[in-house]
Amino acid sequence: MLEKFNQLSFVIGVFFVLVSLVLIGEYFFPIDLPKIINLYTGIGMLVFGLLMIRSKA
Amino acid sequence: MTLHLADYLIIIIYFIFVIAVGFIIKKRIKSSNDFLNSNRSIPLWITSLAFISANLGAQEVLGMVASGAKYGIMTVHFYWVGAIFAMIFLGVFMMPFYYGSKARSVPEYLSMRFDEKTRGLNALTFAAMTIFSSGISLYALAKLLEVILHWNFDVCIWAAAGVVMVYTFMGGLTSAVYNEVLQFFLIVIGLSPLVIVSLHDAGGWSSIRANLQPELTHAWKYMGNAESNPMGINFISMLFGLGFVMSFGYWCTDFLVIQRAMIAKNMSAAQRTPILAAIPKMFMPLIVVLPGVVAITLMQPALQSRGYSIPLDAKGALDYTMTLPSLIAHYYPSGLLGVGITALIASFMSGMAGNVTAFNSVFTYDIYQSYFVKNKSDNHYLYVGKMITLIGILLSIMTAYIAKSYNNINDFLQLVFSFVNGPLFATFLLGMFWKRTTGHGAFWGLMAGTLAATITHGLTIAEGKGGWISPMFEIKSGMGQAFIVAAFSWLTNFTTTILISLVTKPKSDIELKGLVYSLTEKVQAPEQKWYLKAAPIGIILLIITIILNILLF
Repeated sequence: MLEKFNQLSFVIGVFFVLVSLVLIGEYFFPIDLPKIINLYTGIGMLVFGLLMIRSKA
Repeated sequence: MTLHLADYLIIIIYFIFVIAVGFIIKKRIKSSNDFLNSNRSIPLWITSLAFISANLGAQEVLGMVASGAKYGIMTVHFYWVGAIFAMIFLGVFMMPFYYGSKARSVPEYLSMRFDEKTRGLNALTFAAMTIFSSGISLYALAKLLEVILHWNFDVCIWAAAGVVMVYTFMGGLTSAVYNEVLQFFLIVIGLSPLVIVSLHDAGGWSSIRANLQPELTHAWKYMGNAESNPMGINFISMLFGLGFVMSFGYWCTDFLVIQRAMIAKNMSAAQRTPILAAIPKMFMPLIVVLPGVVAITLMQPALQSRGYSIPLDAKGALDYTMTLPSLIAHYYPSGLLGVGITALIASFMSGMAGNVTAFNSVFTYDIYQSYFVKNKSDNHYLYVGKMITLIGILLSIMTAYIAKSYNNINDFLQLVFSFVNGPLFATFLLGMFWKRTTGHGAFWGLMAGTLAATITHGLTIAEGKGGWISPMFEIKSGMGQAFIVAAFSWLTNFTTTILISLVTKPKSDIELKGLVYSLTEKVQAPEQKWYLKAAPIGIILLIITIILNILLF
């Protein structure tokens, strides 16, 4: 698993998955009103992150 | 603008990742070549994205959004006229010499093609420019964070410089390049929602066209006369000044971007690096120009109910530089706000790291090894490269504080750099395609070009700037003045280089083999499919670029 961090696409993928989790979390547990834009962007980043993790580049 | 926990979390995750990349790459650094040149081992998709990302610094992101608001859709010329053609030319015609000559830097190519004095001149001016650019980038980041988030200026300077220092010191060029790719995705993905929500709020493209003056929504229609468009230049100045002199001068000679192509795995990848980079570059106006156009639309009477306005500066005029931060503050809620701020921080750090890594390569190879300490072990140059990285960061910090104390120094330095860069492409064009060009011709051509740029600036005045010799000619915009200065300096360099070359002795054909077009064997790669070759991809991209220009005519 640790060896995968030598692969840039994996690093980028993990980064975006983590950021997406923060955004999705912010939608479900908002400071004030939930903002749908956080959810949509979070889902978009999650998909992108997972694709990058799976890619062999 | 106030950040919350989620925003801080995203900024912290980003900092952890960029530093982690440095530590991951550190294990691979065994020689000076690994540290300064990535051992020419970087995959094509990474070199291509790093190539475009090296030009996606803060000046680009904030500056283009600001220009979008100020000049409207004409700002796309910086991409579709001022970048794509030059990037394709670099890939198809110039990379074979840069990469094939096995030069480790652009100044080193100049020493092979011409002589040491031309190399020295280019290396010294380039090293100075990269450090000042890096420092100005750092200053602008700290200033922006101070203004919009009320963070402490000194803490911002040292924290940002510290993070860049850790990852560039650990992993050298590879680390900088890997982080540039991460930064590229962050900027694009982080700013895309802003484009969508702000455009939707403004009522879409049809509403923009309905609400803005027509000269702000057409790229070419009002360029027949300089007086009838917001940039104040006609299409000839645009095509020659920006489309040829400035564009080719930057994309085809600036080591900062070319270095990203020079670290590709092989010649084919090196040639395709700028060409593939042209694909995202072509669509970058959607991310960095459109928000500016949307911002100015939202301030029109019919849309004032949306509650957005570009902030004013101390004189009460629109502060266009703050267009992007103010859009982020207006549309992004907590969470996405952290992404937007992180994207801004990433753009500044990307600009700084790119400059520092280019600086350490040029300083180590073209100044230190060439003029001071030759024939030492590779470990010695690796050590020097690392020390130069630290020194480069410290000089950048120093420059940032100088910029803080003397506000006008930024404008002054940018001006001096444009004088030096303006004529540069003429030297490379003649050097690569006319074997008769001599070292004396190249050197004195560059000097004459720089002098011509200085004099032209002294004789023209635009927006209160220039005209320090005598304000003989008035130009509507500073941008138009920059194009005219660049054009004159290029023409002067071109003619001076030719004239002096004709009366001085050229190098022999044997010495120029692999460095000049007519004396370089054209390598064919028949096994390669057409869509993997530089020229066919380049032609397709040219056609798409022309179509885009027609669509926004």
